[in-house]
Amino acid sequence: MEQIVLAPIVVISLLLTVQAAHALYLMIYTWDQPEAEALARAPEQQAEPQLSFTAILPARHEEEVIQTTIDRVMRSNYPAEMVQVLVVCSADDTGTIERARAKIDHLRAEGLPNADLVIFDDGPINKPHGLNRALTVSTGDVVTIFDAEDEIHPDIFHIVNTVMVNEDVHVVQAGVQLMNYETKWYSAFNVLEYFFWFRSRLHYHAKKGAITLGGNTVFFTRELLQRIGGWDETILTEDAEIGLRVCVMGEKVRVVYDDRYVTKEETPPTLQHFIKQRTRWSQGFMQCLRKGTWKELPNRSQRALAWYTLMFPYMQAGLGLYIPIALLTAFMANGRVLFVMISWLPVLLLAAHFVASVAGLFEFTNAHGLRATPRAVLWMAVTYLPYQAVLMYSAVRALRRQMQGANDWEKTAHVNAHRSAQQVISFAGATAPASTAAATGATAPAAAGPAAGGAGPAPASVPIASTSPVSGAAAAAATSGPAETIPGNTITMAEEAGSRAG
Amino acid sequence: MPAKHRAGGATAPEPAQAQTQYRPSGYQQPSGYQQPSGYQQPSGYQRPSGAPHRASVTQSGTPRRAATRQRTRAPLAVAGPLTRAGWVTLTFSLVVALVTHGYNLFRYPLYLTDEGIYTEQAWSVLREGKLQPYTYSYDHAPGGWLTLAGWVGMLPRHFETFGDPINAGRVLMVVAQLASVFFLFEVVRRYSGSLSAAGLAAFAFSVSPLAVYYQRQVLLDNLMVFWVLLGLYLLARGSGRVVNAMGAGLALGVAMVTKENAVFLVPGFVYLMHRNLAGRTNRRFGKTFWWFAAISPTGAYMLYATLKNELFPQGMNFNLKEQPANHVSLLYTVWWQWNRKAQGQSRGGAFADVLRGSWLPKDRFLLIAGAVATGAIVMLYLQDRRRNSALLGCALLAIGYSFYLARSVLLDFYVTPLIPLLSLNIGLFWGRLTQSMRSFGTLALTLVLVVPPLALPGGYLIKYNDAHTHLQFADQYRLKMTSLQQKQLAWIRTNIPPDSYMIIDDDIWTSLHDKQPVYPNAHPHWKASSDPDVRDKVFHSDWRRLNYVVMSNRMRQAMEENNGGGEESWILQAIDQHGRTVWQLSKGNVELSIVKIETG
Repeated sequence: MEQIVLAPIVVISLLLTVQAAHALYLMIYTWDQPEAEALARAPEQQAEPQLSFTAILPARHEEEVIQTTIDRVMRSNYPAEMVQVLVVCSADDTGTIERARAKIDHLRAEGLPNADLVIFDDGPINKPHGLNRALTVSTGDVVTIFDAEDEIHPDIFHIVNTVMVNEDVHVVQAGVQLMNYETKWYSAFNVLEYFFWFRSRLHYHAKKGAITLGGNTVFFTRELLQRIGGWDETILTEDAEIGLRVCVMGEKVRVVYDDRYVTKEETPPTLQHFIKQRTRWSQGFMQCLRKGTWKELPNRSQRALAWYTLMFPYMQAGLGLYIPIALLTAFMANGRVLFVMISWLPVLLLAAHFVASVAGLFEFTNAHGLRATPRAVLWMAVTYLPYQAVLMYSAVRALRRQMQGANDWEKTAHVNAHRSAQQVISFAGATAPASTAAATGATAPAAAGPAAGGAGPAPASVPIASTSPVSGAAAAAATSGPAETIPGNTITMAEEAGSRAG
Repeated sequence: MPAKHRAGGATAPEPAQAQTQYRPSGYQQPSGYQQPSGYQQPSGYQRPSGAPHRASVTQSGTPRRAATRQRTRAPLAVAGPLTRAGWVTLTFSLVVALVTHGYNLFRYPLYLTDEGIYTEQAWSVLREGKLQPYTYSYDHAPGGWLTLAGWVGMLPRHFETFGDPINAGRVLMVVAQLASVFFLFEVVRRYSGSLSAAGLAAFAFSVSPLAVYYQRQVLLDNLMVFWVLLGLYLLARGSGRVVNAMGAGLALGVAMVTKENAVFLVPGFVYLMHRNLAGRTNRRFGKTFWWFAAISPTGAYMLYATLKNELFPQGMNFNLKEQPANHVSLLYTVWWQWNRKAQGQSRGGAFADVLRGSWLPKDRFLLIAGAVATGAIVMLYLQDRRRNSALLGCALLAIGYSFYLARSVLLDFYVTPLIPLLSLNIGLFWGRLTQSMRSFGTLALTLVLVVPPLALPGGYLIKYNDAHTHLQFADQYRLKMTSLQQKQLAWIRTNIPPDSYMIIDDDIWTSLHDKQPVYPNAHPHWKASSDPDVRDKVFHSDWRRLNYVVMSNRMRQAMEENNGGGEESWILQAIDQHGRTVWQLSKGNVELSIVKIETG
């Protein structure tokens, strides 16, 4: 009887050990494979700008950050006439719309006319739907997505232009990096997850041809996006899902992670938001698994890798349930030394993951001109297990939501924690007097005035050109429905919803 | 072939960076290494007017990163993969090792007590699922006999596959030796770039009588050497991979739980690891995981003791004068061993005695040449640190282990791990000494170097007979010592009932417990004198409970030396006052006997 109880624990322990060892290897993949690391770096020689870009900025309740982000994208080092910016909002998000409109007006006044606002009032109100709406009015050769709080590198378009021109690839995933590793107790591990994911693991997935793409700083040729049918609006992790569909089509995905050119982001501001974000990701993977795109991948190893990746939330949830049982059994298994030692093997691998995280912290801080202190390492040691517990809780929560059929989007708030005050003021200063910016909060442009509170009307003092390239393109590209073009910088859409994804 | 007798096939070191950085011929740029450089402004790109200059928008990490790169040191230069000439030399070295270790393997030397101990412990792992058939007192970490058990478990007839059970272990020693030769050859070749140097090191490691004598025996030290050389090889490959560094650390970690004296190699290993990873972009992960992997096996060993409630002594009592009677403890044993070393009065004397009495007579060439080479390497390093850093690491290994030998309570086979380390230094020093010579000249000079020990009587291969009338092969290729123990066993099986109570030496333990009919009441004198489970529960320290004592003159000597506290008195009393020798056989300085205890 005892053996019947102990045997499954031994088997699960061994499986977990193998899984953890594999995950550890993926964490350090590019460091282990020198050629992969060389490939990960951005090209040092940049090609002449040949491709035009459309940067989609989906935003919902992003009043605090949207202006800085629009400004940063518009002022990139790439020729301005070759970059189109589309800020996508749902009609009910008046606060963000007002802030975005104000910034776009300012930019137009400065002679940067290629920013536009795309507003939709149909459902579902989620990111993939917004992306699909924006896609219909995009004009660039290449379409990319930046989240509303993203701090992109000014040379990112040059990098991607070079890679796409030189290597003839249609999809490029560039690096995304959370930066504020010291602001919350969970920040360091959250930052490191991004670091390991984009710096290492995605390269392995790209090489194997089974990649779940990231949600931003990902570049597609517009032709490919249209051919593939855009994003699946029913999936919470539409980025992961579209990555698998791209792989099914046999498209090569190029991953570029160069510390110098990453898009900087922030960790969720509160534990509650963090859990919601994690829950959404886990549930999204579960949805992808159920949808079964991974089954259409060409070969067995690709399918296995995709399945393994999408299964991870289930494993994490299972681990959350398994650990108390294993601990209890270990303490009760008096004298069964071999059994207990086997059941402790995953703990050894957990320690290895922690050690990798510490090394990763120093790698990350060194790469970004920061400095990791022994105190930070000590803090990581204290918070490591609680962090794992939160991940497991999120996975269990996702499982529960999935079983209950709750598929709504749980939004992550952004507060500019990844941007230093100086940076924010500096960007705001580009569009408004610094004194007003300071008075209204670092991110509030002076022109917005009362609108900083979210209630004011759009600024009317800025002349708006009605010859936005989007206007013409919108009509031409409206393959999935009519798009109403309002004179000025706003495109409002209200037509059929539904998934355009294949 | 001589023209190519340089590793990697190149004939001269590359001139690049030659001012400061030595590169063996056939050198390959280590992968994962970035030349120190700052960011280069891309060409072919015209910055849009009005765009800020890169320096003003470069994210804050860039300058620091560039500065860091400039501070980093270049990784060690190592030779590339084996060429055809390299494979020929390596194959020849392996064949030599196979012959010197395989020929007469089961007959010479005499089965040693320690060989018997490790074989019986492997037997216990396989047959009983325990680390020892008796109380495990943490005298050695179990990695060695766990490996042995795994090996025997794969053999078709387990302990009986090659006749005597110890022979199964001896075959494993030959396998380990072949692998070790490969690793040693490659380490020397990679660091020196010279095939002749690698061949010379392999020769010394495989043909030295000192090496052959101890490397044939089933000793934890031989398995430890295998892991140590594997770790060195993984570092010397210079692949730049994190998993290689991790594997090297793990190999050292396993070496430490195979024979704990590997801990004295840690300084040399750390230095080599550091130098191998210096300048690589992945050095942080490489170093971190090297340490993690090196510590993990010891951690598992301590976890084992913790789970058995045997990490600490009872009542946390570390008093060496009151050894706990009924509770073993890992930390107490470590403490006892440590103080045992510290209290030794004649430790240097013991070293000198063993050196003169046992090691030098077996092979003075290797010991003297190895010591000279190690010292010379240190001198070379002091003259040119960058160029000789790999050599220094290898010298530190030999120095660290020599320190242990000089400080330790010494048994003669403790020299075993020193043999490959001296061979390593001989090879590296030879490579450095001959680096400016042409390959053919180096090869010729190397051959000249190995001829005297092979050709001179009393050297590696031949010796005069006792009467000094004619030459014969050296002992290791001629004597049939273990036949004495086979005859002793045969007499037992013919004349002693299996249920008899016997005191034996460990070398016949496994045979008596594994092969039918088994002798379940045959116990080693060590356990009969010190293990409460045997001494008090089986024999009750009472000579009347004994039927036979099966021994050798060496066992008798060990019993007397171990009788400081009177532990062996009751057995000696049984032999001397109530014993009658019923079987005896001697050859040279070896005497075997069986004493029947007259209890009537």
